[in-house]
Amino acid sequence: MKRLLGCLLAALALGTAGAATFPVDEVGTFPQGSNAAMRWRQIAPSRGGDNTVEAAVVINVRLNLAPFRNKTGKIYMTLPQQPVTPVTVSWTTQGRLLPGQLVSGQRGLVYAGPILLPLLEETLVLKIEADGTRLSSAQNLDFHFEIDID
Amino acid sequence: MTEAGGLGGARRWLPPALGLALLLQGSVQAYTVTITAGTRTIYLQVGVGSFTGTLSGGGSPGVNATTNVVSVTVPAAQVGTGTSQAMTTNSTVANSYWDNFTFCSPPAQLYVGGFYRVPGSGSGSAATLTATVPSTLSNGSGGTISFSQVSWTSSGIGDTGAQPFPAGTFSAGSTQTIGSIARNQWAESCLTFSYANTAVVPPGTYSGTVVYTLTAP
Repeated sequence: MKRLLGCLLAALALGTAGAATFPVDEVGTFPQGSNAAMRWRQIAPSRGGDNTVEAAVVINVRLNLAPFRNKTGKIYMTLPQQPVTPVTVSWTTQGRLLPGQLVSGQRGLVYAGPILLPLLEETLVLKIEADGTRLSSAQNLDFHFEIDID
Repeated sequence: MTEAGGLGGARRWLPPALGLALLLQGSVQAYTVTITAGTRTIYLQVGVGSFTGTLSGGGSPGVNATTNVVSVTVPAAQVGTGTSQAMTTNSTVANSYWDNFTFCSPPAQLYVGGFYRVPGSGSGSAATLTATVPSTLSNGSGGTISFSQVSWTSSGIGDTGAQPFPAGTFSAGSTQTIGSIARNQWAESCLTFSYANTAVVPPGTYSGTVVYTLTAP
């Protein structure tokens, strides 16, 4: 009976996987330093009204892709909408993942193609930007990774 | 990508797609970056100041302890006639550190400028520029002139509209408000001082020091 139930569940999962988005296990992913002190892009207010604050933070990424091995898909980094002000994040990589950009509430592509190996390790350098006239206190940015399986 | 060790044994008996579905239930994590607000900064420059480069060039302000002098020599025949006497400054600052624009005309004008950087969107909480004014200018031998004899007009090359530090007259023996700088604004004016010359006073050099202070709430 257990084996029969397993087969039924497997069939259900296979039937929806084609267009589905799955969270990616990112245990072991962490920022080097949990706080990013935002600095004014222009220390004094500018004639053009540039009130951007920005910071850079290094992220050690470790993605467990074993469940998706030998499949083809697209991996995205996501950041939920922020309550106070939109946050723009751009990043550079060492080449295993794609550089990109996202705005809070959106997701940014970091990988597209076949998933050949079960573990992906990468170092991202995030550049975080926000409107300093709206960001008045510390704010947590909870990033996730997710995958679209083709 | 790098190879990793094998997955848990419990998964091995499951069909691959089911294993995927179950793994996703409990293993998802997030990484969190805490961002902090920008720092509060105020900058005030009366006369000469220090700024590395210009704001538009990515410069940053420094500290300059210079006390500039605004003065006038009244001819003996003019003392106390009530004919206003234009004053000049030893400040040579003509250009704004904001963008290097030629804003003032020294020695006739004294540059006064600054900025107020503050995170958040609080309203109605500008930084305030005040002047602490002694009662009198003194010649050191008993002669005095009220500071209320000194007034100024305010302008700036190319400026239209109201000045952030408008025209005024010193209020002798008090701390008076000179103007304000709104949140996340740069403000600057060129002050042209004059001596009212309505008092007949003994000859001599009369001096006094006014201290300007920018205060953020």
